[in-house]
Formats: sequence, C-alpha cells, structure tokens
Amino acid sequence: MSEEKRELTEEEKADRERRKIKSAGAMRELMTKYYIEAKGAEGTDRHIAWITSGAPVEPLIAFDVIPVYPENHGAMCGAAHMNVELCEVAEGRGFSRDLCSYARGDIGSAITKGGPIGGLPRPTFLVACNNICNTVFKWYEELARFFDVPLFIFDTPFVRGDLPPHIEDYSVRQMKEYISFLEKITGKEYDEPRFVEVAARSLFASALWKDVLACNEHRPAPMTCFDAFILMAPIVTLRGTQEVVDFYQALLDEMRQRIEEGIGILPSERYRILWDNIPIWYEMRNLGKLFMELETCLVADTYTSAWTFEGVDAERPLESMARIYTEVYLNINLERMAEKIESLAERYGVDGMIMHSNRSCKPYSLGQYDLAKEFTRRTGKPALIIEADHTDSRWYDRAQVEARIRDFVENLL
Amino acid sequence: MEVKTIVDECLELWRDPYPQMARLREEGERLVGVLCSYTPEEVLHAAGLTPVRLMGAMRSLTHADAHLQVYCCSLARTDLDMALAGELDFLEGAVFVQTCDTMMRLSDIWRRNTAFQYHGDLVLPIRMGEEVSLPFLVEEVRRFRRGVEEFTGQEIWDDALVESIHVYNRNRRLADRLYRARASNPTALDGLSAMSCLVAGFWMRREKHNELLHEILEGIEDSGEATGGEKVPLLVSGSVCTMPDLYELLLELGADVIDDDLCCGHRYFDAYVDESAPPDEALAKRMWERVNCPAKHQCIEDRFERLVRQVRDSGAKGVVFYLQSFCEPHLFDIPYLRQRLQDELEVPSLVLESELQSFSRGQLRTRLQAFIETISGV
Ligand code: SF4
Ligand code: SF4
Repeated sequence: MSEEKRELTEEEKADRERRKIKSAGAMRELMTKYYIEAKGAEGTDRHIAWITSGAPVEPLIAFDVIPVYPENHGAMCGAAHMNVELCEVAEGRGFSRDLCSYARGDIGSAITKGGPIGGLPRPTFLVACNNICNTVFKWYEELARFFDVPLFIFDTPFVRGDLPPHIEDYSVRQMKEYISFLEKITGKEYDEPRFVEVAARSLFASALWKDVLACNEHRPAPMTCFDAFILMAPIVTLRGTQEVVDFYQALLDEMRQRIEEGIGILPSERYRILWDNIPIWYEMRNLGKLFMELETCLVADTYTSAWTFEGVDAERPLESMARIYTEVYLNINLERMAEKIESLAERYGVDGMIMHSNRSCKPYSLGQYDLAKEFTRRTGKPALIIEADHTDSRWYDRAQVEARIRDFVENLL
Repeated sequence: MEVKTIVDECLELWRDPYPQMARLREEGERLVGVLCSYTPEEVLHAAGLTPVRLMGAMRSLTHADAHLQVYCCSLARTDLDMALAGELDFLEGAVFVQTCDTMMRLSDIWRRNTAFQYHGDLVLPIRMGEEVSLPFLVEEVRRFRRGVEEFTGQEIWDDALVESIHVYNRNRRLADRLYRARASNPTALDGLSAMSCLVAGFWMRREKHNELLHEILEGIEDSGEATGGEKVPLLVSGSVCTMPDLYELLLELGADVIDDDLCCGHRYFDAYVDESAPPDEALAKRMWERVNCPAKHQCIEDRFERLVRQVRDSGAKGVVFYLQSFCEPHLFDIPYLRQRLQDELEVPSLVLESELQSFSRGQLRTRLQAFIETISGV
C-alpha cells in the first residue's frame, strides 16, 4: 500500500502519460452522450428497448429505437462497486443468490433506480436473444412482468459443428418476425436499404474492432484486455451507427501509431496471457496493478472478440445476420471453442491462459476444466482457473486469487 | 398382486433404481439413459432400446469435480460422477436434451470423457408453442431419429414408431387415471404411493409399466374405502424428486401430496401424441404443446395460471417448491409464483433446494414441520 502512495518522478509521469490510450476520452464522451440521450428519451414518444448483449441490434437502429443494454449497465455498476447492493434488493424479493449477478443487479436497479447513473430509462419493449445464455430469457420474462411491456425473443438453438439448415431457417424466420414486431410496435415500415446501411456500418465497425484487437499480436502489446473491456462498450451498445465507426477508426489509428512508435501499454512486458470469460468488473484496478507488477500483459481474451462478426452477404442481409447471431462463441460446442482458444493463443503468442470461472455465468464457465486441459494439450502452455463472479464481489477471495495468479506467472517459462 | 406389494416394490425402485437397471441389462435390454422429460422416448423404444431415466443419486463426488464447477446442479454433477466412475456401464449411452445451460455443456463434457457407444443430442427451441419454432423442432426430431438409426444400424420404420407412440400414449392415459383415482380417493392411495408407481416406470419397459398401472388401478378402484383424508393437502412444484424422502416425510408429518407440477410427475405425462399424424411431426407437436418446463419460454400458458388451477382443483393448502440448487430456470420463477400465490390465493409456499451431495433428512424434516404447522395453524 505504502508503495502506491509514493510520489511518481517527473520521468515516470511522462512515461505514464505517453503510454495512456488517448481514445479512452473519446469513448467516455461517446458513452456519456449515449446514456444522456437514452435517459432523456424516457417518457417521450421515442421507443427504448432493453436488449441483451448478443441480440441483433441492427433492426432497432434501423427503426430508430434506442437500445439499452442492462449487461453494459451491470458492468458499470460492478466497476463502480455498486452492484452488490442492487443484487441485495433483488435477493430481498426472493431472487436466489445463485442467479446471474447481472440479472439480479438489473432487477434491483429496475426497482430502486439505483446505480452510478440513477438506473436505466424505462423500456417500451424488450428484446432477448439466448445465444449467450438461457438466463437472459428468464431474466427478461421477469422484466416483462415488472414493466408490463412486450418481449421479443430471438431464439438461437445451440450449434454443434456446422450450422445445420433447420437452425438457420428458424433464425431467418425469426429475423423476419422481429422486423414485423418492430413495424407493429413503432408503426413504421421496414426500410430495407436503411437496414442494409445499418448492418454494413455494424459490420464495418466490428471489422475495425477486430483490427484493433489484432494490434495486440504485436510485442509489446499496445493495450491490455483491461483496456479492451472498457473500449468495447460502443461496439456492444451502439454498433450500426456512424459514430461508432468513426470511434474505432480513430482507435485503430492510435493503436497502429503506438505500434510504430513501439509504445507498449505496460512499462515492461515479459509474459503474455490469454484471458477467458467476462472480466471481474469490481477488481479491474487491482488486477491491472497486479499484472503490471508481474510484467504480464493480458493480450487477448475470448470475451471482447465475441463482437467481431464475419461473413455478411449484402444481398441477403437478414439471412446473414441471422446466421452470425446464431453462431456466437457461447452458442457452440466445446470443440469449436477449443479451436478458437487455440487460434487466439497462436496468433497472440501467449505464454498461458487464465480462466475466470464465473459463478454467474454457466454457459461461459461450465466446460472450462475440460477446455483448460485441451488448451494445454494443444498448445503445450499452462492454464490457470480462478474462481470469482463478474459483479458479485461477495464471492471473491482476493488474497487467494492474487496468490494463485502470482504463483502461476512465476512458474511461466 | 396386492396393491400394497406393488407399491412397496415401486418405492424400493425409486429409492435406488440402479441395481434394477443393471438387472435389465443382464436380461438383455439395451438401455439408454434419459435425463430430461422432453426426450422422445418413443423413438428409442421403436429402435428396440429401453430408455431409463437418470435422476442423479445421493452420493459424494469422486470424479465429476474435475469437470464441473460446484455451482452447477447436483443432477448434472452426480449423473456425471456415476458415469465417470463406471457405475453406469450398463448403459449404451444417453440422450441430452438442451433445456438449460448446464445440460448444454454437460452433453459435451459427457461425450468427451466417457466411452459410451451412443450419444444423443436434442436441441429444443425455447419458444415452444409458437408457430415459428415448430418446423425447427420437427426437423430436430428427425435428426434425432437418424442418430438413433445410425447407432443401431437399422431403420426405424414409421409403423414401429406409431406402435411405440401408442404404448406411450396408453401409459400417459393410465398415469392420468392414476392421478385422478388418487385425487378422488386419497386414502386408497397416498401421494407417496402414487408417485412411486409413476416413477417406477422410468426403469422398466413401458409395456410392463402399463400392466403395473393397470393392476394398481383395478386394485384401488375396487377398494371403495373412500373416506375423506385428514392429511394436510399440498402441491409440489419443481423439477425431479430423486428420492422419496420428501414424500415420506410429509406423510409422517401429517400432510400429503395431492398433486404436483414436477417433470418426473404430472408434467411427464401431460398431453398425448397424435397417433394419426406422421410420427416425427406428432412427437414434435406434443413436446411443443405440452406444459412448459420453466427452462422454456412461457407462451402457451402462464405458469401461474396453471398453478392456480392445479391448486384450486386439488384443494392444496400449500405449495412446496422443490428444486435443485443452482437451477436458474426454476429459481427465476420462484419469486413471482410465491408472491402471487400469497397475494391472490393466500396459499403459503415453501422453497426447498436439493443438493444430492449433502442431503440431510433431518433438516428437511424440520423445515417441512414448520411449514405444515403454519398451514394447519398449530
Ligand atoms: S448468464 Fe452469462 S451470458 Fe447470461 S447474462 Fe449472465 S453473464 Fe451474461
Ligand atoms: S435441474 Fe435445472 S439446471 Fe439442472 S438440468 Fe434441470 S433445468 Fe438444468
């Protein structure tokens, strides 16, 4: 602790400044503006939809609906150390502590309007897609009861191996249904050129995001996953808009510039690590410090790359969107996940993997023990599994986790 | 056979069905484990296989902890543990229906770490009962059927499947009669006995179970000793009751289960398969329109409305929610169901979570006793 309080020398300060990611400011502005606009729309005739992070948002943008993401808000509440009290509100209403803490926190915040921004604006309808988990539709059913608003469920059956045609057909049928649902709710007509434009921007932004992440293949890495976890907010919440395209373009330029100038995010980078699962939002600072001290950079993760979509066919926008949303990382079998992990490990040249076994998130966490073994078998690198919860810090044992990380890193190479 | 003898045998099966499964194997049955009530057992039956239900077991774990975290339900953990320990070697394989996140991952983990010859997956839509999902489900049933055919190396003829459907429909009708007989004459057959007779069917050929139910029904329908029951009538809602303890304790404490909303109980035999339609479609249609499991989106009928109807019709004075710890689909529904039961019907409820690795009959008893006392105003 005393070390932290030590005054930095001028040189250290300058170095720190040089290594800072400048686009972070632009992102904060973008997100603040977004939340102000969203909150300002409450009670006006603009539609506000609460939507899950993996759901197709492009139709909403095309219909001028403001999308609001409880999961992004949950991450914010977690980072602000405010999610536990929100969870407790839900628990007081009978929601088990074993339910996802995003869901509990969100239900708590809906009731009390609590959290760093005074809660989310009231939705006029809800959109849930179970490509990330089956928790979301139960959670959104509760929201639908609570707010008494319509809920659209985009159902994406689990995919083993290649996407079978009957799943694809089902997704396409639902895409069309989704559009009709929006037409009915907003009273507007579906405008295909508009949709294609939004979809194209969304894909373009996601391609830029992918390039940003790929910059970390470079040594030293220009950013860590901790930065990526924060910088991903716009691609999650606002993809499909021009501002997001512009933001990621600028971020990409900055990253490339850093590579050119050899600016790494850490003062020194000895080890490179692949991270699995959702961040431990309330521990970002502490873990960030720990890894810096260990000269270890989290260079890649399985989480932020979930928003890098590929393979859209401009001629068949609804069909390709339906396909993309069905085959996301959490909706595929362990073998396909292992392939992704292996390819990330190779591309980013990692020395090992740390998996966050997240008791809030079963689809992300169950199977990790097998994946860890498979990772080591395929890459020859070690894997560590730590136990936590993404926003419920009551499950977290800092001393134990930090000791395990230290041990792990000290034994690398 | 005497009703009592049959019931006792069934109860014993419920308490520990595994030796019976091993026996069936010795008798030449080809067993396939089934973990979920949505499994189209008729397809397995028509292929000459015998579906047997796996409902976990009370045990401490030796193998599963290397593959599953502690925060997943004990059904998944104990079933996997038994499989890894070689205690389920009498099976040729198992079917995994993707109802929840745990099941979806368990299937992969199971497949990767066991050496069974057969592995079946059935992916369900969550939007049951809506037009948009039916064609998908029909195709999924076909895919499942092809998988079984590939495994046995033999085509499943449509007429064989229709015959199996007929056997299972008869089973559903008999189960329904059992529940009705029990409701109209609660002293002739208590909740424990009725449930024993129903679940025993999970571990025998369906034809045999039909005979058994028939015999029981004749026995009690003749008995005529109907007198009003003095026990406190309760309804149990949840997933599966691995062990009869809950039912036994309730009887001991002066209560009785008068109806249930369990997937090893009432939800198991709800709705029939249309015997005049093409079998794949008919099987899909039944799953699609039967009473929803909480792991599916409720669009057919609101769970609460159904529960209210069941409580009213059965005259239950309280509801016991019996679920597995960490089971998200059930846990999400509890608060609103309890709230509304209390507000709209003034029916009290109790939530019990089952963890098979650390089961305590004593604790269960204490909680049930307190609950029954509040109901009967003692
Ligand atoms: S269970 Fe996992 S994927 Fe689902 S909402 Fe919670 S954190 Fe997100
Ligand atoms: S008890 Fe719940 S979590 Fe476990 S398998 Fe059943 S639905 Fe899934």
